[in-house]
Amino acid sequence: MSRLRGPIGRCRRVTTATSPTLVGELALHHLDAAYNLGRWLLGNEHDAADAVHDAFVRATRAADTYAGGSARAWWLAIVRNCCLARLQSRKREMRHVSLDGTTGDDDGPARSALERLLPHSEADDVEELLDQAQRRARIARALDALPPEFREALILREIEAFSYREIADVLQIPIGTVMSRLARARALLHKTLGGNAASEVTHGL
Amino acid sequence: MDCKIARDALPLYFDGELDRTASREFEAHLDGCAICRVALIELDALRTTLRQDAPRHTAPQLLRKRLEKFAATQAREGAPIHPRRGGSAPRWLAHAASIALAFGAGGMAVTLWNSPRHASELAQTSMHSQLARDLFASHWRALAAASPVDVISTDRHTVKPWFEGKIGIAPTVHDFAEQGFDLVGGRIDYAGDLRLPVLVYRHGQHLIDVFVLPDTAAMASAATIAESGYRIDPVKIGTQNAAIVSDMDAGEMARFAQLLAAAR
Repeated sequence: MSRLRGPIGRCRRVTTATSPTLVGELALHHLDAAYNLGRWLLGNEHDAADAVHDAFVRATRAADTYAGGSARAWWLAIVRNCCLARLQSRKREMRHVSLDGTTGDDDGPARSALERLLPHSEADDVEELLDQAQRRARIARALDALPPEFREALILREIEAFSYREIADVLQIPIGTVMSRLARARALLHKTLGGNAASEVTHGL
Repeated sequence: MDCKIARDALPLYFDGELDRTASREFEAHLDGCAICRVALIELDALRTTLRQDAPRHTAPQLLRKRLEKFAATQAREGAPIHPRRGGSAPRWLAHAASIALAFGAGGMAVTLWNSPRHASELAQTSMHSQLARDLFASHWRALAAASPVDVISTDRHTVKPWFEGKIGIAPTVHDFAEQGFDLVGGRIDYAGDLRLPVLVYRHGQHLIDVFVLPDTAAMASAATIAESGYRIDPVKIGTQNAAIVSDMDAGEMARFAQLLAAAR
């Protein structure tokens, strides 16, 4: 887990000003991206919501630390730091429980996947719903099994469609490291899911 | 392009991180290489699977409402812009500052040239200053990068269609080599969420970025903004709003601005 932590920065004052109101708008605009990252890092809805809330308060107060570049990357970097802080305190509180594995939802992935799916789906075919829920549970398990530093890079790239530069800014790592983490993450996931991932999808390249 | 190089370029191509020239070289290789085609299909299948079956967790409405309320309260109370200035910064602020610093080349601090009093003025100014900061940051990043351009060309007939293909905007491109301002090429850069075409010129030792601005993001003030020896001059290319960023002196900046304004 320690590999996840970004460098603790030198404290240098950046004398720029962005109004908290604008930061609030920016953060709300990218709230789903923030929540999604938090959810995948922390493993449950409750912690994700709390971490995003912390991040929002911090971002509006630290509005003057934004100094150009991708604004959503700046915001997600703050969200991520709040998630990591939460993981750390969780670790302190529950020293005996493994953090990377099974501390997430008690319901088991299949049921929570089904719950996530049901209210949103327009499909009315129960068979299809179950099938989809199983596929989702399988993907969720495979993603959760990834080392967190690979998982977060992959989520930002594949789900949020961040550029390499934006991912580098969020994770505070060089672009070269982004590339190698993405490559490892994709290779691991491909291996976990076997050839099934490819065969389930019709593609026209 | 041989297969080994192509394998390294493959994820970059797939993620849209290759420039057009490299993309074309890669595609030429792809036409003749079944192994790379299969690898590309695998990447695509994995992405499709993730986008279909690892759905984005959307933020709960309750959270959104809570934050909107918090933001509204903050705005009413007129939260201080520099709450901790000069005091000992808490740890998270140090974190955030270090993140922000990562954006500016060499961690240069940008000073604000205006300290507004009213809220509306404030919002306006921070929009402008944010744009100015983004432009400076982009220019410095380009200086620090291996190449300040994504498409290298001294031919305006290459640069213009390159932009058109990438972002659907075809800015007016002129070469002023005869007047001492050589067209080097172009790149696309971000200012906030905007993707801006950047025309890159060289004048002696100076690199010049010309940011083509949409009407919605025009520099409101016509005044020059200076920072650490660099300047931003709002200009027009013909009738198009733009901004020059460079470390040239005021006289050279003005001369270049005149050339751009006269361009048709």
